[in-house]
Amino acid sequence: MPERMEIERRIVMTTSAEEQNLKDRISLIETMIAEGRRKTQSWGWFFVFCGVAYFICIAGSVWFKSHHSSPAQRWMIVIIQFLIFVIAAVRINVSFQKRGKGMKWPMGTLDRALFSIWLSAGISMAVLIVSLGYGGLSNSNLVVAVIGTLLGMANATSSGILKWKLQFACAVIWWATAAISCLGTQRQSFIALLVANFFCQIVFGVYGMICEARELRQGAVHA
Amino acid sequence: MLELPELNPVIHGKLRLALLSLLSGVEEAEFTWLRAKTGATDGNLGAQLMKLEEAGYVAVEKQFVQRKPQSLYRITEAGREALTEYVQALKQLLGGAI
Repeated sequence: MPERMEIERRIVMTTSAEEQNLKDRISLIETMIAEGRRKTQSWGWFFVFCGVAYFICIAGSVWFKSHHSSPAQRWMIVIIQFLIFVIAAVRINVSFQKRGKGMKWPMGTLDRALFSIWLSAGISMAVLIVSLGYGGLSNSNLVVAVIGTLLGMANATSSGILKWKLQFACAVIWWATAAISCLGTQRQSFIALLVANFFCQIVFGVYGMICEARELRQGAVHA
Repeated sequence: MLELPELNPVIHGKLRLALLSLLSGVEEAEFTWLRAKTGATDGNLGAQLMKLEEAGYVAVEKQFVQRKPQSLYRITEAGREALTEYVQALKQLLGGAI
């Protein structure tokens, strides 16, 4: 063992300066780990974007009504439109991030878990709704039930990982939407979807963005 | 005399400690991201990462992305263990002070 290390090993912390130095190191470790995890939460904008995109797609579907009489076909078009919006948003975000900071943001285990949940929920929803629509098997109530169930599942899983009660409340709203779609009329189902989309995507997303901004200022980390 | 724990000299350097802590929270990170987070110069950062690499605490993967060189660093199992031991040693040294 080098002599210098032997001396260091036998340091007795008699002065507060030495103690402070060690405390600073603990603080440095905590800060750096937090820095690595900081981006985990910066997805509030994406919830808002998806909510707005979904409203635009639904509005678009009204226009398609004159060309496609089948509700299943209209839903298929809405979902495809929505997917195009989402893919474009992700691409733009990645390009913006690379240009703005000149670097790719690394992914942690938590990020991968959350990303996997949302990606699998999104793919499941797209595959199921498009397939049902193409096969002529779906109707509006069924589509809303599928959307509500899968978004409820994704929100609930995500809330469990992040220990975020508000997100679990969103999951409950989505599940309620799914139940209303199965039990209610087409009109009730559609209204439930619009309400859930407004609260669980737009309001929740804006709240998430406010939390992100607040934590960025405080230098704290939620996840 | 009370036996004091040993502080790993490889990790004890502030920049190396910051790098290892940063890498412990992510799967892998680019050189540019580490530079942005630590505020270190290219030369200093490269030298400190080299020391961590030589100690077996980080692994590097060099690749080309769109014809631009990219260095991806990740913490190894040995690095994670060393960081854990370092934190435990710090806590022991500080005793009731934290």
